[in-house]
Amino acid sequence: MEKLKYERPFLKKMSAGMMDKSGTQQSEFTPVTHIDEVSVKQLIADYGSPVFVMSERKIRYNYQSAVRAFTTRYPKVQFAWSYKTHYNNAICRIFHQEGSWAEVVSGFEYRKALNNGVPGSHIIFNGPDKHRDELMLAVQHDSLIHIDHFEELYTLIEVCTEAGKKARVAIRVNMDTGIYPVWDRFGFNYESGQAWAAINKIVASDQLQLTGLHAHIGTYMLSTAAYGVAATKLSKLASECKTELNTTIKYIDLGGGFPSANTLKGSIGLVPTPTVDEFAEVITTTILNAGFKPDELPLLILESGRVLIDDAGYLLGTVLANKKLSDGRKATIMDFGVNIMFTSFWYDHMISPAQEASQFNEETVMYGPLCMNIDIVRECVTLPLLNRGDHVVVHKVGAYNMTQWMQFIAMRPNIVLIDLQGRTHVIRKAEDLSYLEQLDVIPEHLSTK
Amino acid sequence: MTGIRHFIKNTLYPVLEEILNSYSILFFSNSKLLGAMLLLITFFKPFAGVAGLVSVLIAISFSYFTGISRVGIQKGLFSFNALMIGIGMGTFYNQGIAFWLLLFIVVMLSVVFSGVLHTLFSRQGLPFLAIPFILCFWLVILVSREFAAIDLTTRNIYWLNEMYTVGDKPMVSLILFFEKLPLHPLIITFFKSLSSLFFQDNVLAGIIIFVGLLFHSRITTSLVIIGFISSVLFNHIVHAYDTGINYYLMGGNFIMITVAIGSFFVIPSFHSYVWAVVCVPVTFIISIALSKVTALFQLPVYTWPFCFVTIIMVFFFSIKRQRGRLVLTPMQFYSPEKNLYNYVSTVERRSYENYIQLQLPFLGQWIVSQGYEGDITHKGDWSKALDFVIVDAELKTYTQFALKAENFYCYNKPVLSPGYGTVWNIIDHIEDNEIGKINQYQNWGNTIIIKHAEGLFTKMCHLRKHSFKVKIGDYVRPGDVVAACGNSGRSPEPHLHFQVQSTPYIGSKTIAYPFASYRTRTHEITDMAEFKVPKETELVSNVVVNESLAKAFEFLPGYRMDVSAEGFESTTWEVFTDAYNYNYLYCHQTKAIAYFGRLNNVFYFMSFFGDQDSLLYAFYVSAYKVSLSTELATVIQDKFPLQMSSNNPGKWLQDLVAPFYIFRRLIFECENKTSSTDSFNEDVTIRSCQTMQYFAFKIIKTASVIEVNNKKITSFVFSKGQKNIQAQCVPKG
Repeated sequence: MEKLKYERPFLKKMSAGMMDKSGTQQSEFTPVTHIDEVSVKQLIADYGSPVFVMSERKIRYNYQSAVRAFTTRYPKVQFAWSYKTHYNNAICRIFHQEGSWAEVVSGFEYRKALNNGVPGSHIIFNGPDKHRDELMLAVQHDSLIHIDHFEELYTLIEVCTEAGKKARVAIRVNMDTGIYPVWDRFGFNYESGQAWAAINKIVASDQLQLTGLHAHIGTYMLSTAAYGVAATKLSKLASECKTELNTTIKYIDLGGGFPSANTLKGSIGLVPTPTVDEFAEVITTTILNAGFKPDELPLLILESGRVLIDDAGYLLGTVLANKKLSDGRKATIMDFGVNIMFTSFWYDHMISPAQEASQFNEETVMYGPLCMNIDIVRECVTLPLLNRGDHVVVHKVGAYNMTQWMQFIAMRPNIVLIDLQGRTHVIRKAEDLSYLEQLDVIPEHLSTK
Repeated sequence: MTGIRHFIKNTLYPVLEEILNSYSILFFSNSKLLGAMLLLITFFKPFAGVAGLVSVLIAISFSYFTGISRVGIQKGLFSFNALMIGIGMGTFYNQGIAFWLLLFIVVMLSVVFSGVLHTLFSRQGLPFLAIPFILCFWLVILVSREFAAIDLTTRNIYWLNEMYTVGDKPMVSLILFFEKLPLHPLIITFFKSLSSLFFQDNVLAGIIIFVGLLFHSRITTSLVIIGFISSVLFNHIVHAYDTGINYYLMGGNFIMITVAIGSFFVIPSFHSYVWAVVCVPVTFIISIALSKVTALFQLPVYTWPFCFVTIIMVFFFSIKRQRGRLVLTPMQFYSPEKNLYNYVSTVERRSYENYIQLQLPFLGQWIVSQGYEGDITHKGDWSKALDFVIVDAELKTYTQFALKAENFYCYNKPVLSPGYGTVWNIIDHIEDNEIGKINQYQNWGNTIIIKHAEGLFTKMCHLRKHSFKVKIGDYVRPGDVVAACGNSGRSPEPHLHFQVQSTPYIGSKTIAYPFASYRTRTHEITDMAEFKVPKETELVSNVVVNESLAKAFEFLPGYRMDVSAEGFESTTWEVFTDAYNYNYLYCHQTKAIAYFGRLNNVFYFMSFFGDQDSLLYAFYVSAYKVSLSTELATVIQDKFPLQMSSNNPGKWLQDLVAPFYIFRRLIFECENKTSSTDSFNEDVTIRSCQTMQYFAFKIIKTASVIEVNNKKITSFVFSKGQKNIQAQCVPKG
């Protein structure tokens, strides 16, 4: 028989605390020992701690579910993988294999997409900062360029003149959808007529071909109605393009912004987030009822990122130490912090122990390993008693963390992919000193010891 | 100069064609070569030859004058009876004013008879054959006895004398050489029987006819021999004509019946050959019996037995309801080989015209949860029904928990009209069931019935209450949203029930009816199905049509396209519709015609008539069958009619055995590729090739590339051996 696990003694104050609807206090201590049938212990043994783990099965499942939600409601649907959400090449290629285009917001993302084998015509180039040479690259590769401001519009006309080629463009439109603050810093405003002015300029220019309309009304949107408003306004704009400018709008791009099932900081208990199906229902019925002729229905493009990948990513970590704070609260120090888990500024991530534990639990503040006061993973989490060396699994960290992470104090760890057959692959190696120093340049006068 | 060329091309050539066809059609052909050879041998009896030719000219002129069917005149339909009359009268009567006058009257009468009989009979799809000739010739025989100015000639008896006047001694010795060839008497009988169709008993004429037939059709030639042997054998058993069968009976009846039944009016096959042989004794018996009757009036039976048996048999075959072994020629190409090869190559395409196009009544991919003859509810009169649901990768039909209808993927998803039609009935007052419960009192739940044609209705059931987007009487197009999937009626969990029925009632008996096309996925293999019914557990979705391709191949009547290529005269093609509602591309310059058809997601050519060196022919071969979808990277295959292959011994051998076995195939393969520089798949490259397959060997004959840019066909390249055509196309809409 295996030796029983040592459990340190503890005292617990009776607290009336917040109860969930079953009358018990919220706890998250169902241990998660396996991810896609691969043991967490083994993963940490093989790839170190901390380590990010991505589930290919979950990614594909999410993608197919989202596609199904739209294609069973609307005849022409295209997803474009939002590179900024997770631009690891292996991850991107899973999406491209599933049929997704690429949505990029910078020159390097653009080149990454090309390197991943995406034809230029299947890359959507977004963002307010597109350099001249990047625009030239996009024009030469026949990409869909989404114009953000008039300066960019004029630059693009110059670029096209220089290239002797017509560019296919869309404008990003911002609008009041009942969600505040309005993201009016991106694109051209609908209500003020700015968008219509931009459209007129594009249609009048010989260098640009207006093919689409784009809106991205926000992020982590909890209201489906806002998408209905956005779809209505874009459809109206598209109809006007047809009737007044004799320009057929080939696609409507409603961007992304669908929420994943994470818990936003400050929300009490579980806040139900609308599912992709609910968004799809509103968007598709709006466009289907907008009065397009059956053979002129625009292609519906979606640039979802977060909702497709957040719950496919896990962060495995290890307890470094337990502490008692001066106010008597318990504190646990982990080997991962906000440096690699940027989203802990927004979410109360669900954290599970990775091994069996007793039924007792305690509230603790979970800190990261940085020597910075803000390195707090969870301000308060109820977990079984953890000892040094115990492992935890942080859930739903697939989106943004592996693009927004920083190399600060600690280096960035391995990313491991579990494929459909349960095999594990490193898809990004842990950083080391030589990687770190690769770009360092030592001036001559400092080079001598 | 151009005036003369114009005259030759537009007047002389068509008339010449009409004359030659009047001859060749006697053997159910419109081969110019055979026609010319037959024309030649009629002049073995010069006067008969002249009388025949004059009759044909009279008949053609009279036909034009009266304005009957141009096509009929062109095929020689209204003049071949006149030809027979001319040859017959020229053979038996002395010339004179009275002779020519009578000929003139009788020929015109034969055209009238032909026109009337053609109209009467063709309604039933029957031929009128030589009936006008027999009637007119009996008339001539009966009246000429009363006309003192017309007398029988003796030329027949001393016909060699006539030969002297034509070709002097060499001619006579040539004929005598063939007459005295040391051939088996049966073979001599055979050739003489062939020549007897032209009222001759001349071995040389028989041989020329035989060679002409061989060039025209190997199948016909084999049947001519089979007919001859069968009748000789039958005669041998019954001892009807102990001195041998009279040449005319043999040629005009027993041989012709075998050709007609064995190959012309039906598609040649083993069964048609058996029928042809069976018809010989039947014709034999009728000839003998009929001759007893006509003898009372001192009239010969001529080809009555042949006409009678052929018409009766064709009629009989056409009323035969069971699908089958014997197929009446659907489209007459005046060549048994062409008929057969066209038939074989279009077997799979027959559904294109037989069914009204229906598409799957939903968007995206669904699975057949219960197929035809399903175990759960598709039984008895309602067995030909389909149930559809949506599943995820794990084949689950719902999200986490199957507690509410809303958790099922298919719930509230749009239900579409499967085709063009009118909303016939709607039931929209039944509540959705709780999951797991069924409503047996309102079995079908909320239902829509759409009428697509007389006797063709589709019904979709278990819809969500108040989800209907249409009302009774509305006209719907394929793909229009009509309602949403629900869980009403006898439905324990949300699903869509679909059935086709021939009566408009709720609860009508179901009928089996295919979907025109759909994408199917079983075990990771994606394929396209045409005119099939999906099976249980099959994952299906509608084929998404590429709008650019669909528009590019939307050849509506009046559509024009200018096509030019180096080394070719610039041509203009235009789309017309014929009397049978078939569309064709017509080249104004070369007069070539290519018939085509169009389904929702397939464009295809049916047949081509005209110059095989024309641009239209190159396009016909290049776009023989084009998928209008770019969604699937599959190669589509089809078969060309084999007569398109070049003439060589292999082809002749194939022709000979074709009714029984086909070992050569002319395969068409085609693949669509979208351009990588275009986001919306508007630029499509269609690559196709024609390959000849002998058993397992493959030889590439032609290769083509068609470019479609933004809803227009812009160019095509066609290469065949050393020949390489690069054509530019300018559609004019």
